[in-house]
Amino acid sequence: MTGPVSLIANDVHVTFRVYEDGPSALKQAFSNRKWKRTHRTIHAVRGVSFSLHEGETLGIIGSNGSGKSTLLSALTGLTPLDRGTIHAADRPRLLGVGAALRPALSGYRNIIIGGLAMGMRKQEIESRMADIVAFAELEEFIDLPMRTYSSGMRARLTFAIATSEIPRILLIDEALAVGDARFKERSAQRLETIRNAAGSVILVSHDVNEIQRSCDRALWLEKGTVRAEGPVEETIEQYLSATSLP
Amino acid sequence: MTSITPVDNVPNNLFPLADSRSLRNYISELWERREFAFVVPIFDARIQNMDSVLGQIWHLLNPLLMVGIYYVIFGPLLDIQRGENYLGFLVVGVLLFQLTQRIVQEAALVVRRNEALIRSVQFPRGLLPISAVTGQTFAFLPAIAVLFSFMLITQEWPTAKWLLFPLVFIAQLLISGGLAFAVARIGFAFADLSQILPHAFRMLFYLSGILFSIDDFVHNPTVRSLFALNPLYDIITAARWTLMGTPLHSSVVVGLIAWAIVLPVVGLLFFRSGEARYGS
Repeated sequence: MTGPVSLIANDVHVTFRVYEDGPSALKQAFSNRKWKRTHRTIHAVRGVSFSLHEGETLGIIGSNGSGKSTLLSALTGLTPLDRGTIHAADRPRLLGVGAALRPALSGYRNIIIGGLAMGMRKQEIESRMADIVAFAELEEFIDLPMRTYSSGMRARLTFAIATSEIPRILLIDEALAVGDARFKERSAQRLETIRNAAGSVILVSHDVNEIQRSCDRALWLEKGTVRAEGPVEETIEQYLSATSLP
Repeated sequence: MTSITPVDNVPNNLFPLADSRSLRNYISELWERREFAFVVPIFDARIQNMDSVLGQIWHLLNPLLMVGIYYVIFGPLLDIQRGENYLGFLVVGVLLFQLTQRIVQEAALVVRRNEALIRSVQFPRGLLPISAVTGQTFAFLPAIAVLFSFMLITQEWPTAKWLLFPLVFIAQLLISGGLAFAVARIGFAFADLSQILPHAFRMLFYLSGILFSIDDFVHNPTVRSLFALNPLYDIITAARWTLMGTPLHSSVVVGLIAWAIVLPVVGLLFFRSGEARYGS
């Protein structure tokens, strides 16, 4: 079915602190006689283990607040783990270059910024420029500021930049949902190319259809723990029957 | 079918994801990604001036106006005569001081401002304070042109010592870069820093001998060498010596070289030891 293992997550725990934004922080500081702001510790991911294979797309489903995005962030190595380990064949790349982009600048300049943020050389980016622009279907708009783009155009641009260099492990967080049917199809094709090149993809979504369309296997996350894991149809069935309203 | 039980033996082609880059790898990765620090600040400068009528010309107009005001106040208006070329003396101090101040104030905000980027892309975060240095330095290039034209206007003719000015300038960038690293980390942990910095710089302004020569007031050589502890005093005094031939004490030269070596090293190490926390 699939190739050798490209990523192993073993008993991953992630907690983070959230500072409280009470009605009167100063008053509280006085009454507590503590100058530290009060915080809550959120145990967002509680002992998640799974493995990922080359050429495979793993879907992660779960309701809002189930820890999907936190897990994904841990998989990039950006969020320190509380416990457990993640081993991977290469540093997973989050489809998140969108954060580097500047709405005031043209699509062309944003492709350069996005590529540089991903660690590409400027020369390399320029040599791939035509491909990126073509994939994003932005030929006529590439010199317009990005803020004038529709959300679909923006999603295409981000996706085109992030996948311009075929990653070994790609992480996608709800990024494909905004596009139209044509973009969905093209992005599915691009994912296929990545899989064929022995890359693996982890797709996080609460959109069951999207998971069904793109994934071979699914993992259902609830309250930070794995509720089910297996072939995509079975897992989704379990997820739907557990979460649908009576 | 893959099991969900923990895997005990990890294949040896996989490596642990936790950031275990050595300092050497960190620095080489910074170097590999240097284009980011040169291209992105230039693009960002474009954005800043996009909506203004004069756009990028402000980088030239700002120092010109600043120097012009000093020219009017201290020239015809107050007619202060300290030394031979008081205006030239003032302009070197004011402009160079401003560069370091801008770099450091920018660096205080740089980690927080790029939080979204830090959370989604893996890159050595040291690139952010470095971008503050490169960005502000590019923006300062017109001010250097103003500085040199003003030297000529005040009849400070080029000498062989002018060739040493680039060395002083490089020392200034190294010192400012070291401060930028340190301030970037502190500014991330302590957002109030950017409120404090303008006052700290005002204080430094008076301790750096910008409006008057420290030599005119401090005659005790021991006390005078204490001023060399202030890196901005060293930068400005050394720059004046290269451009105008004003006196230069050996303590200033020692201070300048020492700070230019120590600050970048200590700053980078300090910044890097907080690396895992940025963005959280």
